[in-house]
Amino acid sequence: MRGELHFDAVVIGAGMAGLTAATRLAEGGARVCVLAKGVGSTHLAPLTIDVLGYAPDCVEHPEAALAELVAARPDHPYALIGVDAVAPALQWFASCVADGPLPGYRYVGGLERNHLLPSAVGAARPSALVPETMAEGDVRAHEPIAVVGARVLRDFHPALCAANLEKGGRAARAVEVELALDRADANALGVARRFDDADFRGAFAAQLAPRLRAGERVGVPALLGVRDPHGAWTDLQRRLGRPVFEIPTLPPSVPGIRVFEILRSALRAAGGRLILGSEVVGAERSGGRVVSVRAHAAGHDVRYHAPWFVLATGGFASGGLALASDWVTRDTVLGLPLRGTPGEGEPRFVAGYFDEQPMARVGVAVDAGLRAEGAENVLVAGAALPGAIPWHEGSGEGIALASGHRAASAVLEAAGAGAATA
Amino acid sequence: VTTLTTDVLVIGGGATGSGVAWDAALRGFDVVLVDRLDLAEGTSGRFHGLLHSGGRYAVKDPHAAEECIAENVILRRVAADCIEDTGGFFVTTQFDDPEYADRFAAGCEATGVPCEEIPAAEALREEPRLNPRISRAFRVPDANIDAWKTVWSMARGAQERGARVLPYHAVVGIHRDGDEVTGARLRDARTGEETDVQARVTVNASGAWAEHIADMAGIEGVRVLPGRGIMIAMNHRLVNTVVNRCQMPTDGDIIVPIRTVSVIGTTDVHTDDPDDHTVHQDEVDAMLEDGERLVPGFKQARALRVWTGVRPLFEDAKASDTDTRDVTRAHALLDHSQRDGVGRFVTITGGKLTTFRLMAEETMDLVCRQLGETRPCTTSTEPLPGSESGEHYTLGERLERKEERLREDQLICECEMVSRDRLEETMRRHATTNLDDIRRQLRLGMGPCQGGFCIYRATGILHGIDGLSAEEANGALLGFLQERWKGTWPILYGDQLRQARLDDWIFQGVLDVGHLPR
Repeated sequence: MRGELHFDAVVIGAGMAGLTAATRLAEGGARVCVLAKGVGSTHLAPLTIDVLGYAPDCVEHPEAALAELVAARPDHPYALIGVDAVAPALQWFASCVADGPLPGYRYVGGLERNHLLPSAVGAARPSALVPETMAEGDVRAHEPIAVVGARVLRDFHPALCAANLEKGGRAARAVEVELALDRADANALGVARRFDDADFRGAFAAQLAPRLRAGERVGVPALLGVRDPHGAWTDLQRRLGRPVFEIPTLPPSVPGIRVFEILRSALRAAGGRLILGSEVVGAERSGGRVVSVRAHAAGHDVRYHAPWFVLATGGFASGGLALASDWVTRDTVLGLPLRGTPGEGEPRFVAGYFDEQPMARVGVAVDAGLRAEGAENVLVAGAALPGAIPWHEGSGEGIALASGHRAASAVLEAAGAGAATA
Repeated sequence: VTTLTTDVLVIGGGATGSGVAWDAALRGFDVVLVDRLDLAEGTSGRFHGLLHSGGRYAVKDPHAAEECIAENVILRRVAADCIEDTGGFFVTTQFDDPEYADRFAAGCEATGVPCEEIPAAEALREEPRLNPRISRAFRVPDANIDAWKTVWSMARGAQERGARVLPYHAVVGIHRDGDEVTGARLRDARTGEETDVQARVTVNASGAWAEHIADMAGIEGVRVLPGRGIMIAMNHRLVNTVVNRCQMPTDGDIIVPIRTVSVIGTTDVHTDDPDDHTVHQDEVDAMLEDGERLVPGFKQARALRVWTGVRPLFEDAKASDTDTRDVTRAHALLDHSQRDGVGRFVTITGGKLTTFRLMAEETMDLVCRQLGETRPCTTSTEPLPGSESGEHYTLGERLERKEERLREDQLICECEMVSRDRLEETMRRHATTNLDDIRRQLRLGMGPCQGGFCIYRATGILHGIDGLSAEEANGALLGFLQERWKGTWPILYGDQLRQARLDDWIFQGVLDVGHLPR
């Protein structure tokens, strides 16, 4: 053991839930540290804030649908978090973005009505709070859509996207342009960085403008800048003289990388620490409490002590949960009890890809206050929570934000109460 | 109903049927080759990929061993580009009867299977992940063979000589004229259109489905007992040499390195339905345990996929004292004019992939006898298209090609290094809207991500090339997604579950393919 560090709270995981919880804790005055094996879900997800997209039909009014969902599924994360906690979390996030390091960049929308935005394959995705750079894509607007792509962008196929938009009853067509890149395979982040450059945008717009028709709006893959997406987007709209919107596609996600930078910056500004490449490999417990966690970094272990821990390690996708070849499912970080695991002899998965998979709702067992079962000072947030199928419901970011926000409030309240009685 | 006229109608586009078509075309016959699905979608495409040296049969079935080594030598020459010369080991582990090794060595000697005993330490030096407790090791000329490439090379070679190759054409009736079979009625599985084929001879090479075709021809007693076996592909080449347990052949005793993966096989469970591909949990567990015996840590490696194949085990319900069929032979060639008094109809079934060429040769020799013609077989000397140079393929081939054109070419399937140029060329040539057909050509989507990244890309490209409607493109995408899921869900654990969940996020989250317009 090379070091012993003490914090007011330690957050494990640097996805949406972990960064939200940590930033909120730091803003509340807690000395907080985030330990993460690597960057989290932000770099994979489109980072529209999907609160509730399907229930199971397409949701138009998330606020109303949330109330129905928690009534029908008291085991759902939203039922534990509380529907009332969702809107403040979204507001907090939106101001984080607005006050963040990307000048002018903001998220628009809320719980009243879902946006309905084209996916890269041309389906219409419902989402509550979205980057301003995507909002003009709402398929319910009447302007015809020109979906713009380039052969060099293998992760975006405008003709297929347009064909499905058309099939869904929207006027759309594809436009292929040439991107001035010197190779056949373009890297999403590399292209996004080029769009931060005004000359590159100018050449792009000059090529595209003459091919657009009157009244068309323009959909492009979500690559419009990393450093200054607001500037890139407004500049492109100005040059083309029409609305432009981003369409998210395969990872890595440029909008997600923007959000990671925004939250990291907010965390630092509030005095919190983020240590990437620091995998939690063990925990010391005392009775029903975790007293410290051991993290492995750069060849040595450090022990982090804290009165509170937030487990935001995600589900199976991020490795927070794992099913081993002996068919035992576990929380890989703290080994906490799980909920929703199919019993012995019951199927874990079923043959129909789109059917509900029995393993889909597994998560770390918690009480109504998001406290882990068997560890009273561990709060659980994000995809590690049981009871939801976020990729299926369109609820991932909503659950992550709201539970991260809520977990931080719980810690701050408890710490405040502790301080008051002390 | 259109009518085709041909010399030889071959029913069944597996290795045997394609081999018969290739053999017949080389002998100058006009050929029609049909399959109800894609070529090599049945048993031939569902094995572990082992080109036997014969070692496996050296004790149990010496005749089969002799056939295997003879064919192994021939195929290395004529199908060189379909084969990777991995070599093979037979190793005695602590779980094996130590007495068997001497019998094995004697069996190889007697059957002519080249076999060299090497120190266990040498085997371990070459294959460091192998069970360190092996006591003996033998080197044999096992290899791997890419069945899809082999079958399509033969089909193309036959096509170049005028053959018509009709995948997705199911036989819906066999035409009989008195005591003779005169051809068959086909139905195009994609369009529903029907075609009559009039043939001088009809060859039933439908393997595990041979009973069904024989029934249609009104022939009794052709009984094929389908024996189902499971195989599991592990990510990476856990070994680079084929590794066999040195014991009497049983379940889960071979690991075959092929392309980017290692395949462990197999089991043998009787099933009534050759289309039954159910994977049972206990079979998976047993196979993983077997893997652990050969390569410790096997279960911790990433299991990519599980599948089943169905062996055609022939049993002649009409067998009598006068039946001259050698009972030890793995394959069965039925001359229905002698057996049943039905002319111009031949059934070939049973056998193993390694001996497909021999089966085809014997079949066409019989066909020639029935037709009263003498045209010699040349498949043992004529290389398949693509194999003319006599060089075997190597694992690094695709990477080498990519490196040559690093900046000019786009990788669509990174796992299997499928480039956009090759994908587009194959889509144009193959004229299919089924991405699974493309997979069998190029291994698209067969790597660790199981299509997570390439399915969307490939669908977009297919849509552009073939001018598909959105509906057809969506069908291709959803069909392939389900097809990939089919082989992963029974074995999802560890990192492959992690990958599957990431793929869920991509398809159901980012792309929202569950809500494409209908």
